[in-house]
Amino acid sequence: MIAEPEIEILPHKIIERNKQREDKFNFVKAVLLDIFFVFYSVVVLKRAIYYKFFLEMRELPFSWGDIGILFIISIVVGIFWASTKTSLSCKLFGIAKDNKTTKWTVEIFGWFLFNITFIAGWIVTKFSLVDLFSSEGIQGAQRIFGALFQPEMGIFDDALFAIIETIYIALLATLISIPPTLFLSFFTARNLMRDNKVSFAVYYVLRIILNFVRSIEPLIWAIIFSVWVGIGPFAGMIALFIHTIASNAKLYSEAIENIEQGPVEAISATGANKVQIVWYGVVPQIILPFLSFTIYRWDINVRMATVIGLVGGGGIGTMLIQYQGLARWHEVGLIILMIAFVVWVMDYISARIREAIY
Amino acid sequence: MIVEVKKLHKIYNNGTHALKGVSFSVQPGEFLVIIGLSGSGKSTLLRCINRLIEPTSGTVKFLGKDITHIKGEQLRRAKSQIGMVFQQFNLIRRRSVLTNVISGKLGAISTFDSILERFDKEIIDEAYRNLETVGITEKARIRADSLSGGQQQRVAIARSLMQNPKLLLADEPVASLDPATSNSVMHYFEKINKDLGTTVICNLHFLSLVRKYASRVIALKAGEIIYEGLPGEINETWFRTIYGEEAEEVEIR
Ligand SMILES: Nc1ncnc2c1ncn2[C@@H]1O[C@H](COP(=O)(O)OP(=O)(O)OP(=O)(O)O)[C@@H](O)[C@H]1O
Ligand SMILES: [Mg+2]
Repeated sequence: MIAEPEIEILPHKIIERNKQREDKFNFVKAVLLDIFFVFYSVVVLKRAIYYKFFLEMRELPFSWGDIGILFIISIVVGIFWASTKTSLSCKLFGIAKDNKTTKWTVEIFGWFLFNITFIAGWIVTKFSLVDLFSSEGIQGAQRIFGALFQPEMGIFDDALFAIIETIYIALLATLISIPPTLFLSFFTARNLMRDNKVSFAVYYVLRIILNFVRSIEPLIWAIIFSVWVGIGPFAGMIALFIHTIASNAKLYSEAIENIEQGPVEAISATGANKVQIVWYGVVPQIILPFLSFTIYRWDINVRMATVIGLVGGGGIGTMLIQYQGLARWHEVGLIILMIAFVVWVMDYISARIREAIY
Repeated sequence: MIVEVKKLHKIYNNGTHALKGVSFSVQPGEFLVIIGLSGSGKSTLLRCINRLIEPTSGTVKFLGKDITHIKGEQLRRAKSQIGMVFQQFNLIRRRSVLTNVISGKLGAISTFDSILERFDKEIIDEAYRNLETVGITEKARIRADSLSGGQQQRVAIARSLMQNPKLLLADEPVASLDPATSNSVMHYFEKINKDLGTTVICNLHFLSLVRKYASRVIALKAGEIIYEGLPGEINETWFRTIYGEEAEEVEIR
């Protein structure tokens, strides 16, 4: 005999309990966010607006004691504010009281945050119309734009060779990233990995690693690898390769997560194993999006390869930075025109291919 | 007894109590139809029988064997003996009709061969025979998504026949088809039931179809069985109990 099941747990009880738990959790989040808001405001007010703007200090005094005091004040104010249930964060997490006080605090404080951020940004970037329109500045601009219209054709073949190098760096990085990206994308697709705890752990860890790798710009990777393997095209290629894997694995795995579940269910109902389910139920649905992402990524990589060249990743970017260093503006002009042309052509071709695929 | 369901409960993760102690059994060769309002738990019940989902409690026996909580290889073997046809056909859109039909046989093909799509002559012949049963041999090489709804459902039936199923489940197989096509598709289920002796359990919406094809009927309401009997015995009173006071019968021929 099978033991009688325990189905005393009523569904609405479960829902109620979940809601209470969620509210508690939201309150903790609101307190933390309010503390941050208050801390952010006082720091910005004191350091950017008071010291830098009113006192016009160049070197800002820094002491942990000061910051510590501000932080403690923020904690007290933040906790008090959140527990009135009328704060900005309470509103954001949907646990605020629905009354006039909430409405006013949210509006006033929202505006306040926006304005101090904007003003601080203005002060920090040293935004200056004087620089933008000074006679010196205007002359510099004239030099650059003038050179664009009188490019030095003498270096055309060198530049052509360099830009082809750039395109190949991008192409190779894109091509060799395909196998590892495919492999990773299946292991970072939630719908394929959530069945048991082990696979879900793998999914989670891989996601974190990929997010981390992706959050580092290719430019930074290029700097890292130029130290590692030496300055040159290889460093640039590896940098693009790494970043392409991380960003495309995310796109691919999202494509896998968004497939129609019907065919997967139907194949699984025939008694097929996991590999067969993926091959027949998933793969036919994702081939086209994958192709399209990859071609688009090649296009992006050509632009990235140019930028990476600036820090020594080889190709046209390296050439550009060399002539810029020598202040040979007519050569710079030619290189910029060639980059613009290639980027435009790549953009057009990749858009056309992607259209044709669908 | 081909299927035996006892005190079956299913509570979904979100707390929905979709089945509340359902018990019934099915004899070989029956054409059992399950009716009930939308949300009454019909799909959930079928999915518990072929274990696309795991019941919360109770038992499901298939050919005398308890399959309620089996896993892995055992589960795949049980699934491979139960065919299933869905409302949305669920074919692999971009592949040929033939590949779709053969995909019903994956349980019997090695992983390696199935990835290379290397199929034995017998399997291909069998696929053609099953396409013949549903009368669309000439479409074998065409992409599945270029067929009409009725044709796609017939391909789906052929796919399930590849399993040589002892039991065929059908979850509202004609709900997205027009009346004429519905009848022709239902005809194939009848043929499979009569000629091959396959037991059929089918969810249906229209009572006229139920009367025409069912050998026995079960009605679900809010996850419980409220009627079990012959299709001819569903009178006005029962109809209103099953479908609610406001319901009115719609004919489809
Ligand atoms: N995967 C799921 N997760 C949570 N709840 C679900 C899930 N699938 C179904 N339900 C719920 O279970 C109940 C029964 O659904 P089920 O699909 O079995 O009904 P049905 O009789 O097949 O209805 P229909 O005629 O609309 O197909 C419904 O309340 C539904 O919302
Ligand atoms: Mg259903």
